[in-house]
Amino acid sequence: MATLLVVDDEEHQRMLYQEELGEEGYQVILARNGKEALDKVLEISPDLIVLDIRMPVMDGLEALGRIVGKERNIPVVIHSAYSSYKDDFMSWTADDFVVKSADLTELKKKIRELLERKKA
Amino acid sequence: MKKVLAFILAGGKGERLYPLTRDRTKPAVPFGAIYRIIDFTLSNCINSNLRKIYILSQYKSLSLNRHVQLGWNILSSTLGEFITVVPAQQRIDEHWYKGTADAIYQNIYLLQKEQPDLLLILSGDHVYKMDYRKMIDFHLEKGADVTVSAVEIDKGLSQEFGVIEIDSDFKITGFDEKPDCPKTLPGKPDKILASMGIYVFSTEIMVRKLIEDAKKDTAHDFGKNIIPAMVNKNQVFCYNFIDEKGEACYWRDVGAMEAYFESNMDLISISPLLNLYDPDWPMHTYHAPFPPAKSVFDDGAGRKGFALESIISGGCILSGGEVRRSLLSPDVRIDSYAQVEDSILLEGTRVGERAKIKRAIIDKESEISPGMQIGYDPEEDKKFTVTESGIVVVPKGFRAR
Repeated sequence: MATLLVVDDEEHQRMLYQEELGEEGYQVILARNGKEALDKVLEISPDLIVLDIRMPVMDGLEALGRIVGKERNIPVVIHSAYSSYKDDFMSWTADDFVVKSADLTELKKKIRELLERKKA
Repeated sequence: MKKVLAFILAGGKGERLYPLTRDRTKPAVPFGAIYRIIDFTLSNCINSNLRKIYILSQYKSLSLNRHVQLGWNILSSTLGEFITVVPAQQRIDEHWYKGTADAIYQNIYLLQKEQPDLLLILSGDHVYKMDYRKMIDFHLEKGADVTVSAVEIDKGLSQEFGVIEIDSDFKITGFDEKPDCPKTLPGKPDKILASMGIYVFSTEIMVRKLIEDAKKDTAHDFGKNIIPAMVNKNQVFCYNFIDEKGEACYWRDVGAMEAYFESNMDLISISPLLNLYDPDWPMHTYHAPFPPAKSVFDDGAGRKGFALESIISGGCILSGGEVRRSLLSPDVRIDSYAQVEDSILLEGTRVGERAKIKRAIIDKESEISPGMQIGYDPEEDKKFTVTESGIVVVPKGFRAR
């Protein structure tokens, strides 16, 4: 069973992830901001990371740079409501960018693809 | 007009120039009596009308900062122009720059702000005069993803450089870092094309390549990793740094003491390889307001202040001593009956009465006491750094006890 680290500052969003990605058969570990994410990456070494950008304490882009600096083989999907971050060079460090919506179909598809690519 | 952002990599430790790099990073090492090495790259930028310049510093950057602040505060921020020294900030990772590519990767956010079309990557420790616009035009004409600037050098020097192989269209087909058996130039079996460590990148390609490389276990270096990985995959072209006559232009990596000494000494020759007198390509630097150089004493009894075949900067006083084939930086004093030959004396050096100096580099603010000899007795010189060919290097602030 693949372990996902899902990072989002909104509690409802985290609950949604927990439920829907859990149903897909993943073990879901949650973090509330970039700093928590960074700590957890080192602690549990997840198979994939889903990362929000706008968060307090440490935002997703800063966390992304630091994660790649430490664990460069973990795929990262940015899941943000702001598609304008696609133009931010730092966001290009992520393996994929999915614009946030309540429907997680697209996100689930990308997660599956990235995990398969990692296995291959 | 394409928007170009220049990055000058100024993070080199310069260990082979020790002790000149004891208190300063390599680009801040004095050169040509009144300049710092980085002045050549900065002047090239300004003369090429490139006015958005980041200098990425790292080790021992105080001296560099001060020089840029004092001497290069010449652009208009109102017009969006700048020369900014960016220290290593550990924004992304908690270490210093791992390589030249990592230095840019760690500063990707600077690109975000400026949104340049092209990036010009330069090194702060080379001495040359180059119009970067010609290289940029070449890059655009060829529709290149990256263009690497190269200079023709003797085959025997291949182990010190990245050696480039090209096809007839100047497309790079091979890139070998410091090879033993280099591919020579078509039609010139004794020459190779050496990479000058200067690159023009289209911004988007550069960012993608830097990110790709950051996720791999490499040296994160343009010459070792990024460029070789792009050859045969991307449009990688070579800009040959030649003059109108088709001859290789002057370019020196003065990262080693012997090369540093020779390049300085070349400036006192009748027709130096590096012409500093070209009004179309002025070299800028910081000038402290020293008074003009002067010489005093000519008493007919051997007490004579003079200099022959030398460069003498402002503030120097040849006070009854003699100077031959040497470079004197500002504010150097040569006292009576002292002799200086084939040497480089940096700012504020004092040479006492009857002292003798031969084939030496004296770093700033040193005092050579009366009667002292440097470069004459190998045993005596052992307290200093001495190069293979016997050049004695006296560190900054030296005083005999």
